[in-house]
Amino acid sequence: MRARLPEFQSIVQVYAVIAVMFAGWTIIAFLWKLSGWLLLLNLGEIFIVFAYAMVTNFIESLTILTMLLAGCVVLPASSLRDDFVVRGTILSIGLIGSLMVFVGSQMQFGVERGFLLLIAPLLVLLGMAWVLQRASQFQGVRSLVIGFSDRVVIFLLILAPVFLVTSAYVIFRNVS
Amino acid sequence: MSVLNRREFLKASAALMAGATFGGASALLSQSNLQNIGKPNILIFVFDAMSARHLSLYGYERETTPNLKKFAERAFVYHNHYSGGNFTTTGTASMLTGLNPWTHRALNYRGMVDRQLTGRNLFQLMGKEYTRLAFTQNLWADILLSQFESDIDIHLPCDSYSHFIHSYIQPDDLPSDRRMAYYVFQDFANLRVDDPRAFPGSLLIASGDLVRALGPNRKHISTEYPRGLPTNYDYAYENATVLDGIDKLIKNSLAESEPYLAYFHLWSPHEPYNARKDFTGIFMEDLPLPAKPRHPFSGGNHPEKALREYRREYDELIADLDAEFGRFLLDLEQSRVLQNSYVIVTSDHGEMFERGEVGHATALMYAPVTHIPLLIAAPGQVSRSDFHSVTSNVDLLPTILEIAGKEIPEWIEGSILPGFGGNEDSARSIFPMMGKDNAAFQPIRHATFALIKGEYELLYYTGYPGHDDQFELYHLEQDPQELQNLFSKDITTASSMKEELLEAIDTANRNFQLR
Repeated sequence: MRARLPEFQSIVQVYAVIAVMFAGWTIIAFLWKLSGWLLLLNLGEIFIVFAYAMVTNFIESLTILTMLLAGCVVLPASSLRDDFVVRGTILSIGLIGSLMVFVGSQMQFGVERGFLLLIAPLLVLLGMAWVLQRASQFQGVRSLVIGFSDRVVIFLLILAPVFLVTSAYVIFRNVS
Repeated sequence: MSVLNRREFLKASAALMAGATFGGASALLSQSNLQNIGKPNILIFVFDAMSARHLSLYGYERETTPNLKKFAERAFVYHNHYSGGNFTTTGTASMLTGLNPWTHRALNYRGMVDRQLTGRNLFQLMGKEYTRLAFTQNLWADILLSQFESDIDIHLPCDSYSHFIHSYIQPDDLPSDRRMAYYVFQDFANLRVDDPRAFPGSLLIASGDLVRALGPNRKHISTEYPRGLPTNYDYAYENATVLDGIDKLIKNSLAESEPYLAYFHLWSPHEPYNARKDFTGIFMEDLPLPAKPRHPFSGGNHPEKALREYRREYDELIADLDAEFGRFLLDLEQSRVLQNSYVIVTSDHGEMFERGEVGHATALMYAPVTHIPLLIAAPGQVSRSDFHSVTSNVDLLPTILEIAGKEIPEWIEGSILPGFGGNEDSARSIFPMMGKDNAAFQPIRHATFALIKGEYELLYYTGYPGHDDQFELYHLEQDPQELQNLFSKDITTASSMKEELLEAIDTANRNFQLR
């Protein structure tokens, strides 16, 4: 089983991409709403919302990572595991990006144009599939993806402790 | 269709088990239990956004409330009852705390009562002698109930008796942290189908909600509801189902836990105004209402034709609700529940369709949005009593305490209502206000205040960017449509009321800074 999983360093790099994308969205949403909350919530209460938001990010990012790792276990090694950093990063960006476009379209157009809301995320997914297919042929794409995932690892030095501390805090609030 | 959800089932079962235990041991009732026999139950029904100005009970031209009118024949009827605010948070907080908005500080959309004052609430003051149950379909009112959670014995989830839930995760999923769960989920993580500008904080949760919203049930179209099922944008529901659920609760679970105080805060007739087909189109005739010019502080710019259309739909929903509530009351009466129960019918705020504005929570504080119904039927009451003096919904708490034989603390800012020991005071001043853009932690400098005294109403708009402070004065009896601004004509009344209002605001701000 363990042999079917990618190397730890590769997992960390891909996880960093996932976590940064989720946290980036959440932090922008948080800042978007902060001015409204300042009217009615005190700083402690705003921190509680932030803590829950970070725990949600933690769960979201682990969910996507688990899906990718499950893919490594189930699929032939050459399709994902052997080139996990590149393919995992492209898949993460494609999947999370399509969710961003999906939700962003609703924010732009509402839910009434249901069919249109699906087009943009589908295009993102098709683009991801195309890049995924071509990634092995274009060294430039590979370098870009590897460079990106390598650089965002530094954000894990912030996000990982934040995820752990806020998880402990949220568990404490709900158990005590 | 959800009839009983998990939490409700567990609580109802616990209540039934407790009831069975005490029932079996009735011969061993303690002295204190014996003293409880004879204490009346108190049932409070709050209909969200029900303006007294739209009820035929109070003389509205359309026959919207034949059943409430019938109920009023054996009730105390308050004709000039006003909410503390013009939207849920402020109005409900005033009702449940007996405090004016500038004291309780639940000023903002989805705001909370001052954290130092959460012990000052109806449920706490009723004490453990009463079984205290609370249920609201309004999530903003539920935030307040969650603040009072430790004083409530049974707090039903908002989605009880509802048909369709828009979001996968609800505040009740965090029962230990329900007060903050609203802000975490509804206000942050979840997708807001009704408000695309809201920025959902969780991509996965929002995507799940969006897939659900795009599903086949999204429009909740039913042949019974031509405009769609009633919804509070988080849950879709039918008033018949909600009232049937409450009916069963009262007759089964609560009957074992007397005396009880039960607070039911229903979403209807809040918008969207989705009445059943039997009530759709029943008020097609136009009302002879004067057109009112758009107000400079109005947040909307609806043309007169649209305002009349919204008004018609709102009236239809009130008529629909009235029919359901009439059926519900009849059932309670036949079940003899009302023999030992006070029934209170009121609202948290009104609704308006004029001056370009539709709805409530606006900078405008005209009577349609603050004037609310209040009817109180005592057990066995056979005749009607009418009261015309000005009363406020901060008066409800001391009146309920009086009914229950409880001590009334000095800090309460309301008075006992006439008919229950209070006097009809023609010189009484009440102060509804709207300060949704003013920080709850700051003195109030940006708000609309009203001072209602006798037949007069003074409105004061202050702190609105790009506008000078502005006063308006109306004689509500001679000019119920509030068209003739007397502020520069009736100088004596205007200056004395202005002085009183400014002094009251100054005192409130001073007291707040001293806390």
